Amino acid sequence: MDRPADIVCDTLVVGGGAAGVAAAAELCRAGLTVELAEQRPALGGAYYRQPAGRAAGMQAGDRRARQWSRLEDELRRAAVTPRLRHVFLGVDTDGLVLLDDRNGGRVRTVRTRAVIVAVGAVERVLPRPGWQLDGVVTAGGLQMLIKETGEAPRGDIVIAGNGPLAVALAADLARLGRPPVAVVEAGDPLARPLAALRMAAFPGLVAEAAAHLVRVRAAGTPWLRGSRLTSISREDGRLLASIEDRNGATRRIRADTVALHDGIRPNDFGLPATARGEPFVLRAGDCREALGVGAAEADGRAAAREAVALLTGTAPRRHAPEVSRQRRAQAVLGALFKPVRDDGGLAALPDETVLCRCEGRTVGQLRAMLTEPDPVGPREIKLNGRFGMGSCQGRFCADNVQALIAAARPGTVAGPLSRDRWPARPVLIAALAAEEETREE
Amino acid sequence: MSAGSFLWKGVAVPFREGESVAAALMRAGIRNLGRDGAGAGLRYFCGIGACQNCVVSVGGSVVEACLTPACEGMAVEAVEMAHG
Ligand SMILES: Cc1cc2nc3c(=O)[nH]c(=O)nc-3n(C[C@H](O)[C@H](O)[C@H](O)COP(=O)(O)OP(=O)(O)OC[C@H]3O[C@@H](n4cnc5c(N)ncnc54)[C@H](O)[C@@H]3O)c2cc1C
Ligand code: FES
Repeated sequence: MDRPADIVCDTLVVGGGAAGVAAAAELCRAGLTVELAEQRPALGGAYYRQPAGRAAGMQAGDRRARQWSRLEDELRRAAVTPRLRHVFLGVDTDGLVLLDDRNGGRVRTVRTRAVIVAVGAVERVLPRPGWQLDGVVTAGGLQMLIKETGEAPRGDIVIAGNGPLAVALAADLARLGRPPVAVVEAGDPLARPLAALRMAAFPGLVAEAAAHLVRVRAAGTPWLRGSRLTSISREDGRLLASIEDRNGATRRIRADTVALHDGIRPNDFGLPATARGEPFVLRAGDCREALGVGAAEADGRAAAREAVALLTGTAPRRHAPEVSRQRRAQAVLGALFKPVRDDGGLAALPDETVLCRCEGRTVGQLRAMLTEPDPVGPREIKLNGRFGMGSCQGRFCADNVQALIAAARPGTVAGPLSRDRWPARPVLIAALAAEEETREE
Repeated sequence: MSAGSFLWKGVAVPFREGESVAAALMRAGIRNLGRDGAGAGLRYFCGIGACQNCVVSVGGSVVEACLTPACEGMAVEAVEMAHG
């Protein structure tokens, strides 16, 4: 028999970014009842992150602000009231969705026919000695802070890694009058004329990138292309970043904040499998495929139409031309920003480099497991080595562990560390226990 | 413009309206959030609730500082202290 649930609805959307908001509005227009769960105190997601204090608002006239207010209006017209500070945990064996309600301090159950999971992306960050020090943040994390507070942390900032987000962040910092002291870029987009030509098919992206670059150059920030930040240490209360150029020459830069970023990838850790029976589970936006905000909105709408088709028994089909277009754009950007040297420096990492930030497991500990006489598989690496077992559930180590395994065993294909550890987030045992109690009553 | 203050390990930290605990701690120059049960250092990193490196203890619950709105008078403790 069906266990009673706290909330009953036709559809549940998880994540209040571009994908989730578009999906929720679309589902509502199709005549279905919709719940929208978001873990933060405000909607917006990573791209449309709202400034603290509603009164402040985003800068009027800003394109991002206009796009967001269009999505917000759509949600309002659809009369969807989001459940804020509700963290999605997973779907239990009875098909009930569990949400950790941070306002009420308890876990709530949802009986629904379809779940659209739109929990966005996470950044890729390559390990470097010293990346676990405080003051080292992700570039996206620094951007969230800027969007939330409208100010940059005190002191000098270095941005390092790979990809266009670093330049975007540098431009944001310059706009605040706080340009970074350097942007270190593993690729060299100016030396890839073929990819640059293919960018012409995406004039919007070109215009945006050009505006960022002009601003960064005007601020006098050096853009160190073909270079890598190889290590970070602490000296006299500040951070000391070692930067190696393509010829192997090293320079050192002092900073108070180091922002790292090596791309983005889907936040698909601990998620329920896409189910083919009720509750149907679909993924949308960057958590399905990380293609940026334009694709995320289109994909959210397409996922909603697919859910409607599944619930009405018509043939489901995910059709979104904008998603295909953004996929092509991302491929060109990838070619443009392709690192000058390939392996991301993994092979050269000293053994003491922290690999798992949650439990402090090191590169050397992984290497030791890999050189044991009996070859160990991903399962042993996870269970015995405890890689991917910390509280971030592998979000910041799984890709790096896999790349190190591949490097240590050339010719073999390393299986991924499984990403299906349930629940999607560590959950307060007390909150779950409270849910169990109500279940037994 | 400060909306009020909360207590970090008993010391008042000012915050602005709608701001997260993490943002207020960063502005106050508090970057080291202690150590967790496994002994790993805690600090702000990803800003989106993904890395779990910024967890603090509020009212006996372990929560991400970057997801938790600051409230007047709220007592925020380091995780290590809350667990002895
Ligand atoms: C840190 C970061 C910074 C970025 N900055 C930029 C940028 O400046 N410019 C740019 O073009 N692109 C940026 N991106 C890419 C960006 O992710 C996409 O362009 C866009 O935001 C994707 O939309 P989405 O709806 O798929 O995901 P998101 O916008 O990320 O929305 C996902 C939402 O799900 C919520 N969520 C996550 N887990 C749970 C859970 N368990 N329970 C409940 N809610 C949950 C999140 O709080 C978030 O609100 C950034 C990505 C990251 C990760
Ligand atoms: S900074 Fe990563 S979870 Fe808060």
